[in-house]
Amino acid sequence: MKTQTLFKTFATLTALGTAAAAYAVDFAPPLMMQANGQPISTESPGYAAPCWADVDGDGKKDLLVGQFAGGKIQVFKNTGDNKLAAGQWLQADGKTAKVPGVW
Amino acid sequence: MDLNNDGHPDILSGSYSWNERGMAGIFQVLWGQPGGGFKQPTPLQGTDGKPLIILPDDKKTPTLARICTRPTAADWDGDGHIDLVVGNFGGSFYLFKGEGKGKFAPKATKLTSGGKALEVRHHSDPFVIDWDADGDLDLLSGASGGGVHWAENTAGKGKAPTLKPFKAIIASGPKREYGAMLKEADLDGPGSDTRIWVDDINGDGKLDLLVGDSVQLVSPAKGLTEKEYHKQKAAWKVEKDKCIAILSNRKSKKAEKRAAGKKMNNLHNQRKDFEITKSTGYVWLYLQK
Repeated sequence: MKTQTLFKTFATLTALGTAAAAYAVDFAPPLMMQANGQPISTESPGYAAPCWADVDGDGKKDLLVGQFAGGKIQVFKNTGDNKLAAGQWLQADGKTAKVPGVW
Repeated sequence: MDLNNDGHPDILSGSYSWNERGMAGIFQVLWGQPGGGFKQPTPLQGTDGKPLIILPDDKKTPTLARICTRPTAADWDGDGHIDLVVGNFGGSFYLFKGEGKGKFAPKATKLTSGGKALEVRHHSDPFVIDWDADGDLDLLSGASGGGVHWAENTAGKGKAPTLKPFKAIIASGPKREYGAMLKEADLDGPGSDTRIWVDDINGDGKLDLLVGDSVQLVSPAKGLTEKEYHKQKAAWKVEKDKCIAILSNRKSKKAEKRAAGKKMNNLHNQRKDFEITKSTGYVWLYLQK
């Protein structure tokens, strides 16, 4: 499952220069995302689907992670200090949101 | 942007398949509400009033193109309406043209590169963004085999996209033997079945990658040393291989096969005595230097 919020704004690149045929970027080694000091993970069988968007309207983008099990989505709120709060299941209509068609 | 242009952010999801006749991973929307919050998911419909379904023109693998869908929303063709670029189990990509206010044409068209279908090897996971900052929208994707892949749009701003074949901007992770011991502390990057998101995560003006994955962790059962674990697993594997040899031998007698099948079930149940397995998924952050 992949989730996506639909108010994503396309980030503006400012320092990459003009596009070239051999456009290439360099990344730092990958970091395992954590929340509240613990690795962010899904229930079995996995299939983590991340989304970075402001879901609570506080002006800071949060991390949402969709998963296969139950079609549920975890929300990790951005606490504003380069940290994420412990995950909570996304709520919809007062109960845990579950996307049908996944198990 | 929001899908139906009502001023409230929405959440869009794909799915594996519904339970109707004919498998199809329909698209679900959690509509954003005034004052915040979301409604429970409802199927996204086409302009014909029916749930949007990928109706592939590839007769050989129609089911694989319809199931395990992953949508992303963007004005792909530059006509001012939000479109959907969607992935599927088979690894291809389809475009549902937007007609405004959350309405989409029912018939999807396959994305191509150089006249051939644009594909990753299973589980296409599209994300649309101007990756190379040349003014047009590119296509990035995760894949079943892992990694992050980029199909450059060479058309230029305001023109119908022309995509190059995919090239990896993050290579697939190491191939791991199924069932081999693997602890969380051993992980140093994404595994298989990558799902991606692109944004400037650290606010330095450069696009970064969030990569979700799937991985199976395998560790010794509680109380066992690694040495004891490996010894027990090796003995277990010898017995399992004997059973497989009997079951796969056409000359084996029925009674032999029955006994081997029963023993396989017992071995399966015994596995937890020496081994703990956990299937899960993590999220990795690649910060652009």
